[in-house]
Amino acid sequence: MLTLEQAGFIDPPHLSPIHGDILPGELLAIVGPNGAGKSTLLSLLSGFRAPQLGAVTLDGRPLDAWTPATLACRRALVAQQEPPGFDWTVRDMVALGSDPESALVARLIEEMELVDLADRSVLRLSGGERQRVMVARGLCQLMARRHVGAPDGGLLLLDEPTSALDIGQQQRLMRRLRWLARQHHMAIVCVLHDLNLAGTYADKVWLMEAGQRIAAGQPRVVLQPECLARTYRAELQALGRPEGGASWLALRP
Amino acid sequence: MTLSGRNGLTSRQPWRHARVLVGLAGALLLALLWSAASGVLGLSPLALLSGQVDELGFQVWWQLRLPRLILGVLVGAMLAGSGAAMQGLFRNPLADPTLLGLASGAGLAVAIWIVLFQGSGPAALYGQFLAGFLGALGVCVVVFGLAGRHGGSAAVFTLLLAGLAINTLAGAGGGLLAFIASDEQLRQLSLWGMGSLSHALWSAALAACLLVPPALFLLLRSARGLDLLQLGEATAHAAGLDAPRLKRHVVVATSLGVGLCVALTGIIGFLGLLVPHCLRLWLGPGHCLLLPASMLGGALLLVVADTLARTLAMPAEIPVGLLTSLLGGPYFLYLLLRRSPRC
Repeated sequence: MLTLEQAGFIDPPHLSPIHGDILPGELLAIVGPNGAGKSTLLSLLSGFRAPQLGAVTLDGRPLDAWTPATLACRRALVAQQEPPGFDWTVRDMVALGSDPESALVARLIEEMELVDLADRSVLRLSGGERQRVMVARGLCQLMARRHVGAPDGGLLLLDEPTSALDIGQQQRLMRRLRWLARQHHMAIVCVLHDLNLAGTYADKVWLMEAGQRIAAGQPRVVLQPECLARTYRAELQALGRPEGGASWLALRP
Repeated sequence: MTLSGRNGLTSRQPWRHARVLVGLAGALLLALLWSAASGVLGLSPLALLSGQVDELGFQVWWQLRLPRLILGVLVGAMLAGSGAAMQGLFRNPLADPTLLGLASGAGLAVAIWIVLFQGSGPAALYGQFLAGFLGALGVCVVVFGLAGRHGGSAAVFTLLLAGLAINTLAGAGGGLLAFIASDEQLRQLSLWGMGSLSHALWSAALAACLLVPPALFLLLRSARGLDLLQLGEATAHAAGLDAPRLKRHVVVATSLGVGLCVALTGIIGFLGLLVPHCLRLWLGPGHCLLLPASMLGGALLLVVADTLARTLAMPAEIPVGLLTSLLGGPYFLYLLLRRSPRC
């Protein structure tokens, strides 16, 4: 659905040309050290910054040829947290910008475990709670605006959605994202810092370093301990390897 | 503050929107009747409504009070509405057209006109009006030129800094003008600078009738975009917002409206800050309700304040800008102290 044709940025933050496809039904993880260009790549994929090199097309049409409103029916973004300015309730925040039916909002609030917080002000939430609100809002946008007969569930871009979640929440969120990719035929792109989450739940992984995509493919191919140790300048040890999957990694003490 | 009863504010309770707006409009209507009836020459509201007033009463009402009421409604709506829109644009409850330098830029241009080019008769009024208009527009162009060089999230920060620089510059320019002004001009400058509706004539009211409603309309049309902008620029863009267009609309509408208001009435402080802030505590932050409610609330507050300003010390008149600042300042400080941990 989303295709990158040697797309990149010349101006800083620089991004070397990337060629590739993002397909519905797949969960793609973008990993890499701090400052490697993960969020920059996400702004390219969302169309927030137009590519200075190459092109990014959605359903065969360049992103900047879409009107903002129609593009919003096809892809949503869950950015890294910005502090909200005013005290919206959780329920209003989830619904913001998509005029959804209240049943959809109620379902998403339940799925994201926000039922007890639904009428609370977003200014009084913890980081993890706010993160779940923003994921629910992104999903609400895609589901409420989905056209009848759309070929797939749309594109969901998430920038470090698990950074403030406890491990139970992380597991449930990643399982839900994978389920959404499979059942709703969504294309999901997720910037992740936790390599084990990427290895366990992603269908594909792109590894970024210094504004370049240095590896792309299945997790077990990309997430090699030796390569990751070099890229992250970390001492890693592999704790074992599930059948057909990527190694479980831990830091050496 | 309790948040119960505020659910579904964004779009699902149109009857609540209607109830709030009709209530505010009703209060404004009562305030207008009261204001039209009170003054040095008392007129009974019933006599006004049934048309049973004598010749002198009618002249006072038609030549003095009616244009003043019209100006009060439009200026109040414009100042409070643009305050609400600016606060949404900057995602900051303390933002205001004065913060961007629009009011002080317009004020400086008007002061330059008063000191250097002062004419007499209609030329004075229209020159002043044109000067305020051009002053705000000039600030708008400068501020946007600066902000245009920095994309993304830096833009809002740059806008605020540019506003600060312009406010400082306008303050210094105003001081310089006061230094070279004659005694008569100085008196005119300081009277105008305090903010007052007492120059209200039909010419001023008609100019406001012509230019303020389109600016208000442009702001009302931006309500949904301002809601989306609360998600942050990148997320709002992905949710379908054309952010540069929204910013253009809000800043152009605000600078035109505020420039005109400053030229006609001087700088009337605190309306743009106070009215949206209080209404947000009551109605929540959704702009589809907050913007029209702020406009009605601003009109209501300015009409009431102006009536008090011209009746409290009859037959003398207190500048209404002085009154709003005197009342608004302490109340605003109280609000900030009470809620400081949260915004």
